[in-house]
Amino acid sequence: MIECKNITKIFNQNRHNEQIALKNINLKIKKNELTVLRGASGSGKSTLLSLIAALSRPTKGEIIVDGKRVSKMLENSTAMFRRENIGFIFQKYNLISTLNSYENIILPTIPSNPNEKELTRHVDTLLEMFSITNKKESLVKNLSGGEQQRVAIARSLINNPKIIIADEPTANLDKKLSLEFIKTMQKLKQQNRTIIIATHDPLFFNLNFCDNIIEMKDGHI
Amino acid sequence: MKINHYLIGFAISSLFRRDAKSFFIIFIFTSLIFLLSSILFISNSIKEELFITLDSLPQITVQKLQAGRHANIEISRVDKLLKLNGVQSAIPRVWGYYYFENAGVNFSIVGIDSFDKQYKKNFEELVENIDFDELEKNDSMIVGEGVKEILSQNYYKDFFNFVKADGELKKIKISSVFKSSTVLESNDIILMPKNLVLDIFGMSKLKVTDIVLEVANPQEIPTISQKIKNLFPDTRVITNSDLRVSYQNIFDYKSGMFLALFVVSAFTFFMIIYDKASGLSSEEKREIGVLKALGWKIDDIIKIKFYEAFIVSFISFLLGIIVALFFVYILQAPLLRDIFMGYSRLKPAFELPFILDLQTIFLLFFLTIPIYIAAIIIPSWRVAIMNADEVMR
Amino acid sequence: MFLTPEIIAIYTLNIIFLFFSIFAFIISINIVMHWNVNRTDERQYGLEKKSILVATIIKFIFILKLPLFIFFVFTANKISGVITGAMCAAGVVNSISFGLWLFVFKILNLFIFGFWIALHNMDTKDEQLSLTKLKFSIFIVAFMLLVIEIIYEISFFSSLNIDKIVSCCGTLFSVASSSSFSFIFNIPSSIAIGFFYLIFSLLVVFSFLKNEPLFLVINIIFFITALISLILFFGTYIYELPTHHCPYCFLQQEYYYVGYLLYITLFIGTFSGISGSILSMLNRKNRKDFYKKSLLFNSIYVAIVTAYPIVYYIKNGVWL
Repeated sequence: MIECKNITKIFNQNRHNEQIALKNINLKIKKNELTVLRGASGSGKSTLLSLIAALSRPTKGEIIVDGKRVSKMLENSTAMFRRENIGFIFQKYNLISTLNSYENIILPTIPSNPNEKELTRHVDTLLEMFSITNKKESLVKNLSGGEQQRVAIARSLINNPKIIIADEPTANLDKKLSLEFIKTMQKLKQQNRTIIIATHDPLFFNLNFCDNIIEMKDGHI
Repeated sequence: MKINHYLIGFAISSLFRRDAKSFFIIFIFTSLIFLLSSILFISNSIKEELFITLDSLPQITVQKLQAGRHANIEISRVDKLLKLNGVQSAIPRVWGYYYFENAGVNFSIVGIDSFDKQYKKNFEELVENIDFDELEKNDSMIVGEGVKEILSQNYYKDFFNFVKADGELKKIKISSVFKSSTVLESNDIILMPKNLVLDIFGMSKLKVTDIVLEVANPQEIPTISQKIKNLFPDTRVITNSDLRVSYQNIFDYKSGMFLALFVVSAFTFFMIIYDKASGLSSEEKREIGVLKALGWKIDDIIKIKFYEAFIVSFISFLLGIIVALFFVYILQAPLLRDIFMGYSRLKPAFELPFILDLQTIFLLFFLTIPIYIAAIIIPSWRVAIMNADEVMR
Repeated sequence: MFLTPEIIAIYTLNIIFLFFSIFAFIISINIVMHWNVNRTDERQYGLEKKSILVATIIKFIFILKLPLFIFFVFTANKISGVITGAMCAAGVVNSISFGLWLFVFKILNLFIFGFWIALHNMDTKDEQLSLTKLKFSIFIVAFMLLVIEIIYEISFFSSLNIDKIVSCCGTLFSVASSSSFSFIFNIPSSIAIGFFYLIFSLLVVFSFLKNEPLFLVINIIFFITALISLILFFGTYIYELPTHHCPYCFLQQEYYYVGYLLYITLFIGTFSGISGSILSMLNRKNRKDFYKKSLLFNSIYVAIVTAYPIVYYIKNGVWL
């Protein structure tokens, strides 16, 4: 499903502030696996995730996702690739705080001009699944951290992606909410999705449904 | 192609979410459009008013030139002009300007000979109702409303002392006040019997100011004016359509000059727009990064920016035009109309007739909205190509 | 030289178009020279981003050029009131020797820019953007044509002379005229009409055969014969005057602006036929609905022009 071959990523190459973020990474993740990327902040986890999601391109090496060479895709195609295959859960949720929950959840579908009825039905199911139906019209900035987290997950699922990428999802949550998040991930895995979670939260290190734990340090595995 | 109303909705909501910035731009742009449309509306209306006046003007006016200047013309030429084929009537006119120093205004004095045919309809009505022979005996005159007002302000309630060409005073009584449909042409007019006018201006009884002709077939006007030129080489022949063209030119030129100035000030505005569109807050940058991470293409981001620009400029366009319509036609354009009407202090007392044609709207559109949108093309593209991976850091 | 607000507007927009298209032109040359999908360096990615900018600029210019064309006719109509002898836009346009060429370039550029956008839309659906080099080569040509049009337009307005007496459309579009149009009048109108309906029936047949090259050629011929037969024959029935052949006067209010309807349907009909055929020849997967669209709009055009003489005959019992 996801394969990284000899990935190197250098920021500001050939400049005085050159910084090597990833060095010779080789990685294979199979379909329907849950992978935890473990490491301190600055160890290159986020960079690796953004490479897999084709948000940026590796300096060397290549990445193949679902048979596609995403590291060589044109910009236009990477957007389509993300829209169709990837659901994002960011560290700070990255919701648009001045929009309400519904508007945030439908963001990924807007460019493809969705059918209104189908979309509404889909959003309603998601809202129900995460028990935030009553928050549909509330502005995100007025929601609690846990509710924002759930809106973010709902948004990542709206396009029914095969791959879920989560970057430090529990950094701003207390233990109870973090455990709830883990349960959700388990559910998503049961729906045949491939999940990658980058985190340094110890709660993730002993999960029974986790397939790989990859330890990262200074850009190495 | 189906219209993506989600995209438009998103554009609207992002305008609202940055309300201070949006309102600032709408405010300035509206003012700019308001100024431009007011000027165009005023110039259109004055042009219209003038054309109405022009239609009532004689088809051909014959003036004598002496040493390159306008001189009085012999009354004997009237009969020769009448003999030209196609000329229906030839009317000698006696008129001139009288400068009233105390008020600093010019009056137009028109001499009326009740035996002659009148060259204006409303004068004809006057001649029917008023006995000009009687006026001549009593040394009286008829004045326009504006004249009456100016005279009363200077304590001339029922007479006025004209200073004749030889320096003597001539006392003329005010017999009545006359009204007219187009105020522009009649406000500053004084009508009195022809002989009194000749006396005040010190003109010979054998001469008149000019001769106006009526032509049976308007198509023949160019031919007839050519014949007159051949008959009397010392004359200047002015046709109705000459005047129309020169008025149109003056007004197009005046509004053109204004526009040239406008373009400069608008340019400054569009520089501000360019700047505003390029400089993004960190919040906006993060938002665009998120959208790109969620699978929005560069094109989609540019589209959003275009919709925003179009909505902002269209709202300003409508607002600007509505405010301008109110300002010009309801408030009668205080201050601004003086740009076009600087010539006589008596003239401006008229209502601007309501004119709104599709072409002016078109013109306003092309002068504003496309330029605004052009100003945001490059900034929106710059914004849209930003790297999205920063949202992951 | 004239300085009316309308002309200032047209000049301003021309300057903007020129500025942006020069920008787009430089980028296009770069793309044509260096585009290579297989390369993964920064330059290639940069070119891709710039190509989006160029596409945006071209869309901007095209979308404005459509209404501007109507505005140009409007303006020419208005100026005809100032120029002695001119009754409508025709007199104004023909008071300058290259006036007709300005018109030809305007129409040609509308076709080319419209086609470019259609090509671009097809290209962006392809992951490899395989038509990119072709697309930008076409733009380099389109840029030159646009520059010619703008130069023509600017010199057109600056050489308009109000003191010159021009011919009105009545003399320009008549048998006796020596203008650039006069060659048309050597064609007997019965042959022109016969040819017009013949071409239209071929167009109908070809649209069912779904053969792109044939359909392309027939649309181009149809466009030309439609214009010629409009001037020679159908126009006279719109005016109900056997001697009035002007193709501009029916854009005025007296004829309910029917000219805009005619020209717009003819443009959409032939444009979708021409661009659709070319796109299909480039890419077999292109959707074939352009046959229907082209046929529909061309038929509407034919129906309207045919209605005029028939209604006239029913009302008056004679032909003009």
